[in-house]
Amino acid sequence: MENYAELVNYIFVASNTSIAAELKFIDFLVILCAHWVADRSAGRIGGLNPVNGDSDAKNLRVKLVLLGDSGVGKTCIVLRFVRGQFDPTSKVTVGASFLSQTIALQDSTTVKFEIWDTAGQERYAALAPLYYRGAAVAVIAYDITNPDSFHKAQHWVKELQKHGSPDIVLALVGNKADLQEKREVSVQDGIDYAEKNGMFFIETSAKTADNINQLFEEIAKRLPRPPPS
Amino acid sequence: MASDLSSQSPSSDEEEEESAGQKPKTAVNANSIDNSLDAIENQLSSISFNTPIDERTAPSDDHHHESESLSETAMNSIGESSSSRRSGLWTSNLEVEVEAEVDGGLASPSSSGYAGERGSSGSVTSGSGIDVVREVRDNGSSMGDDGAVVLDSSEAQWIRGKRHADEDDASVSWRKRKKHFFVLSHSGKPIYSRYGDEHKLAGFSATLQAIISFVENGGDRVKLVRAGKHQVVFLVKGPIYLVCISCTEEPYESLRGQLELLYGQMILILTRSVDRCFEKNPKFDMTPLLGGTDAVFSSLIHSFSLNPATFLHAYTCLPLAYATRQAAGAVLQDVADTGVVFAILMCKDKVVSLVGLQKASLHPDDMFLLANFVMSSESFRTSESFSPICLPRYNPMAFLYAYVHYLDVDTYLILLTASSQAFFHLKECRIRIETVLSKSNVLNEVQRSMSEGVLRIDHLPVDPSARSGSLFHLNQRRPSETVTGIGGPAGLLHFIYRSIYLDQYISSEFASPISGRQQQKRLYRAYQRLYASMHDKGVGPHKTQFRRDENYVLLCWVTQDFELYAAFDPLADKATAIRICNRVCQWVKDVENEIFLLGASPFSW
Repeated sequence: MENYAELVNYIFVASNTSIAAELKFIDFLVILCAHWVADRSAGRIGGLNPVNGDSDAKNLRVKLVLLGDSGVGKTCIVLRFVRGQFDPTSKVTVGASFLSQTIALQDSTTVKFEIWDTAGQERYAALAPLYYRGAAVAVIAYDITNPDSFHKAQHWVKELQKHGSPDIVLALVGNKADLQEKREVSVQDGIDYAEKNGMFFIETSAKTADNINQLFEEIAKRLPRPPPS
Repeated sequence: MASDLSSQSPSSDEEEEESAGQKPKTAVNANSIDNSLDAIENQLSSISFNTPIDERTAPSDDHHHESESLSETAMNSIGESSSSRRSGLWTSNLEVEVEAEVDGGLASPSSSGYAGERGSSGSVTSGSGIDVVREVRDNGSSMGDDGAVVLDSSEAQWIRGKRHADEDDASVSWRKRKKHFFVLSHSGKPIYSRYGDEHKLAGFSATLQAIISFVENGGDRVKLVRAGKHQVVFLVKGPIYLVCISCTEEPYESLRGQLELLYGQMILILTRSVDRCFEKNPKFDMTPLLGGTDAVFSSLIHSFSLNPATFLHAYTCLPLAYATRQAAGAVLQDVADTGVVFAILMCKDKVVSLVGLQKASLHPDDMFLLANFVMSSESFRTSESFSPICLPRYNPMAFLYAYVHYLDVDTYLILLTASSQAFFHLKECRIRIETVLSKSNVLNEVQRSMSEGVLRIDHLPVDPSARSGSLFHLNQRRPSETVTGIGGPAGLLHFIYRSIYLDQYISSEFASPISGRQQQKRLYRAYQRLYASMHDKGVGPHKTQFRRDENYVLLCWVTQDFELYAAFDPLADKATAIRICNRVCQWVKDVENEIFLLGASPFSW
């Protein structure tokens, strides 16, 4: 798998800097042009970060990335949070979806989450840096009925500790908490792992909406606040 | 000319998932194959696969030619020979082997294991029993069938994902499927199977691999094996092998074209960089990389029998008033000027407008595969997405990034860029486009055209003096006019007009009696055969073709500028049919700026 990830990374570099041999001159121009526009319009830290113009002490705007194995319910968590919906039919996410939601905290600040809901499929693993680069929050989800997804979550934690922003807020989420009778990852395992890695831990159920809002409120509280100007 | 079609059994065009009513043979003996595989694999390493892009059938076998009966039971295999002598040798070997299976009734362990033609009594009756049940269900709904008679409770789930995942090559139901598609690696590892679980089909994949490498060891390439009603079509793309096993009597060229599209769809998802994974590790398992894409492939295979774009290699536009399409094109052009490689606005599988710095280089096949990918991936409907996508004809080695957003339930916008950083820019572009489109009423017009279906054969102006330059005001005075016969004038049932110059086709709306899915499928299959015979390098080029069978009169007319495929009532008069075809061409010319996307960009052609 890593082979494919490396190769894809290489191709992204190649296509972006237009050294791919297959490209004709006109492609070269187009890509240059695209690049120029993109660089101009995107923020300095990374292109998938919003321009941080309207974020102040009272109104925070944060980039949140959701990672985890396929089928753990990442999209369901986001749709429950953003739209209050739950769709039991599984819809495989392609690439990454973008959604946003604003919440108000008790101290009268608002937090606008700009959420990148990434695809859990293996072929998109190489793309993850594109989405977590510059993210203030990473939510790493697993399925409490699936130990493999818990291992995959640990893999993501390690990758973010290595390559994520140094002050990133990490949250570990055990989803599908409504399926108690099928549980294979104990609450304690989740708590222990999260504690060891300085993460916030919570078990949720997108189906019953249990702890979904709590998850995002808790994240909002933990965000580093910019100094009041 | 009529002999070809009438010689086929009427059942041949039924739902391909249905059983063919044949008796399966015993399962493959996996052990013996594994042993022989190792030996074959050792030799394989010295072979390099070359895959010319534009290869065609060897002219030696015109199995689809009119004079030859399609129901012949003799086996032919077409080899692409580098040394004809050895080719002959291997070919005859292969024949003997396959023939033994077909005629013997008993399976030999070393044979392919695929269900042959004849079997011993027993399940033949049960097979046809299932057949009837399925047929009823298929007519009743547009959803597919299930292997068992029991109705599936979670319909919504399995129409999107893979069907019959529980089957394998030992299942009776699996063997009765009319059209199988397989993708495997050069080491025989399964990558994709239309029916059944890939992992359970490892033995079967190994058999296919053995056949391919056996022929390749002789310096040849196996392209087609015919075994009675079954055709086994092979396509080798570097380390990836694609195989179709079909008893639908589609021409070889069509099946091969379908395999090419299947490969293209895979490249669209992964790029050809996967080849390098096989270079590093020949036993590389590709299935995890395609995780979650079953719906994309089943929808693709589904469209092989319901979307003429798959064999015409052209795209189709939604008919729109000229000004409406111009408005859409103008706002897309604004966006394209800011570094978007292609901006495409589509409604289902029809193009509303398309703009790019290099419009000419967006191949219709790429457009078809991209639209299929977007339409079959439900997640695009949920929220705006940003996803890597490779256009195989544009550059098979590199990803572009696709920003995809649904503007309403059927209409979606795809913005393609080379920059992985452009999401927020594209999001702004989309907001701008959406605002303009809804303000200028384009989205409503699109919806209206989609639901009304404006290009209707009963609107064909019969009287040349009554010509009108527009489909749209014509539409409004329609109810008062009379309709001649069934469908259009002189028994016209349907037509497809393909503009060679524009890479576009237009197809009339389906009307009675071709309103059911089965009838549409049968007509498309007939067009497909017509297309293949008109484009056959061996006997062509033809200019016109007229054939009559129990279902239709088909008329095809190919010129330098266009191709016309028309279907008439089987009793239609030839001279009148020709006259009507001339009318159709005139009509298409009259309204061409409403049914085609005409060069919006000065650099496009």
